[in-house]
Formats: sequence, structure tokens, C-alpha cells
Amino acid sequence: MSNLMQQALPLATSRTPLLQFLRFRGKINIQKPRAPHYERARVIAVTTPKYPDPPKAITCFKKRTQAQPENPYNDIIAREVRNWLEHSSMVAIFHLNSITADELYAVRVQLFKQNMHLKSYGRKIIANAVGDTRFEAILPLFHSNHCIVFSADQRVGTLLRLTRKVPQMVLLGGIVENTLLSRNELVAYSQLPNLQSAQAELVQTLNMAAGNLVQQLQTHQQNFVNVLDVHAKGVEQSTEADTSKQSDK
Amino acid sequence: MSIPFSGTLRRSGGVVSAIGKQLKSVNLKGVKRVTVQFDPFAENVKSTREFLFLLSTPKVTQTNPKCVVKTDIVCDRQPAQIKFSLIESAQELAKAKEIRFRSSNLSTLELLQLYNKHVSTLAPPEEIATKVLTKAEKQKIAGGGGGKKAPKKK
Repeated sequence: MSNLMQQALPLATSRTPLLQFLRFRGKINIQKPRAPHYERARVIAVTTPKYPDPPKAITCFKKRTQAQPENPYNDIIAREVRNWLEHSSMVAIFHLNSITADELYAVRVQLFKQNMHLKSYGRKIIANAVGDTRFEAILPLFHSNHCIVFSADQRVGTLLRLTRKVPQMVLLGGIVENTLLSRNELVAYSQLPNLQSAQAELVQTLNMAAGNLVQQLQTHQQNFVNVLDVHAKGVEQSTEADTSKQSDK
Repeated sequence: MSIPFSGTLRRSGGVVSAIGKQLKSVNLKGVKRVTVQFDPFAENVKSTREFLFLLSTPKVTQTNPKCVVKTDIVCDRQPAQIKFSLIESAQELAKAKEIRFRSSNLSTLELLQLYNKHVSTLAPPEEIATKVLTKAEKQKIAGGGGGKKAPKKK
């Protein structure tokens, strides 16, 4: 019928507009919906879905905590840790007692001035970073509160001097030039002489064998020369005494 | 048939709150020096390190500022131990000069419990400091004892 009306009297039709406004201002009510009509309620009751419960025996002895989903950010940080470990020639690991952030910052600044970087990461991340690599042996050091110092040069003496002033930092061990060292070994390493004197010592040790032989061959001649020297000096002194006596006379 | 109630009304807070509860009663007053010796690469050192950390917290150190906590790092895979050197009065009480805990097979909570049982009890009792009287209080006492004094003329 509306079609007939459209053809006959085009302006006489009234169409519902495309947009029909249902609400105007006023707050909508979602907290106290009105009770549905019986028929509507019946339809809703029949059509609500029922999901089967998993049998309780499966979860009987299992904990109710939800498994945390793996976070890819942990992998990024693990990669950063691996980078630091591989590119620093000195790594020192400390046990950290209770310390204020101010004091820790002061230590961090002191170390930074010596090109040493103080960092700390969680145990799981370090385990992830270091797990199957050659650095696996340092894992037991991270079971408790800790911090790590990375440095590109190997000034163990400077590090020990700076951290001696901080009683809360307890040195546990470290890696110097791809060698794992315990605390006592690190202290001994810091007290070693520099490379030149070590080389000089090596040269001396190498020469000692030949030098010993030469010395032993020359002992008799050397002794004879020494005795002659002493004798000559004695003769000189006596002749000087004689000449002085004669001149006095 | 109803059975009488058995069990707890409140759930326990776990290990962490038990440790916190023990920490509140930790008292270092009877101890002159604490030496914590461990090998960081040995097994079962975690509880010793945690105990060392807890001893270094400000609340515990303030119970006795004179007590020194020293850490010995060894490299011979010795089992970890913690030694408490006692002050004289505590030595008389305990009849020992120092108390040693072998901590490789003890958890942090057990260490704290044993400490509270054996060492915290050796702390000397606190002396009640004599109260310093203010002038007004002194006058009040004197005035109450010897009759009221004549009021001052301005």
C-alpha cells in the first residue's frame, strides 16, 4: 500500500527517518533492570548456555595460582645481560646488604667515574641469559640480594678500594678476562705487579739457570780477584802511611 | 550431630609474615660481634645470605649499635656458619663465650627462631632511665611537701 501511495502521491508519504533517537540526556539504568515479562523470561531461561564444569578431581591437589604468561620483555633484558657479560673484561658480583638508595647512588656515581657500571637483575632473568652459556657457573651467586659491576678495563684494585668504603657490599667473586675468580683470587689479582715487572721477573727466572752455572764456574777466579784487591788496598794504605811519616820527619 | 569446632579462624600469612614476626623480637643487645662465614659457591647458602641481609636492616642494627656484623667469604666449600660472640653478662648467663649456628641445613625462618630462642633471651634487661624533672615539676613536689610558698611580688 505504501508503494501505491509512493507512485500516486510522492509528497504525501511519511517515512521514518534514518536516525531515530531513543535516549535524550538522562542517565541510563543498567543496575536495576526491570523484571522481564514471563514469556521473555521463559525464552531467556531456555536459551542461556550451560558450560560443563571440569571434573574437580583434576584440580584437587593443584595450586590455585594462575600460571603467569611468559613475558617477551624478559628475553630482551636477558639479551642485554648477555651483552654486558660478553663485552666487559671485568665482572664483579657483590652480595648487597640493606642499603639506602642514596648511598647506593653515591657508590654508583663513584664507580661510573672509573668507567665501571653498577647493575642488578633478577635471578630468573640471569638464569635465562646465562643458562646454557659458558657463564653458567656464576648462577649460585644470585640466590640472594645482589649487584653486579661491569667494566671494560681490569682495574680490580680501584674497584676494591671504592667498595671497601661501602660495608653493605660484600664481594663474592668475579670474572676477569673470561676466568672465574673467587674473592681471595680477585684480591690476589689486584696485588699482582704490572705486566712489565712480571715480564722482567720471567726473564730473570729464565736467565737464572745459565747464570747459576756461570757463577759457579767463576767462583774461584772471583775469590782470587777479591783477595788480591784487598791485599792491593792494604799495600797502598801502608805505602801512603810510610810516605806521610817520611814527609812529617 | 555437630562436632565441636577445630581448626583456625584465620589463615596464616605464610613464611614471609612468620619471618617478619620473628624479626620483631630479634635483639642484638647480648651480642658483641657477629661473624657470618660462607662460601658463595657452596650449596645451601641462600638462608645464610638472607639471614645476613636481615641482620643488616636498620631496625635490627638499632637494637645494638655497638654490635659489629662481619662477613667472611671463604673459598674451600666449607659449610656455612654464623658465630655470635657474647658480651660478659650474656656469657655468664649462657655459660659460653660464643654461640655458633651451622646454617647450611637451616632455613631463614629456622635461623631466626633459633636465634630468638637462644640469643635474644641473653640480652641484659633494660635499665629504666631516671626521669629528668623540669623546674615546674620540682616546685610542685616541693610545694606539696612543705606548704605553699608566698606568691612573688612583681
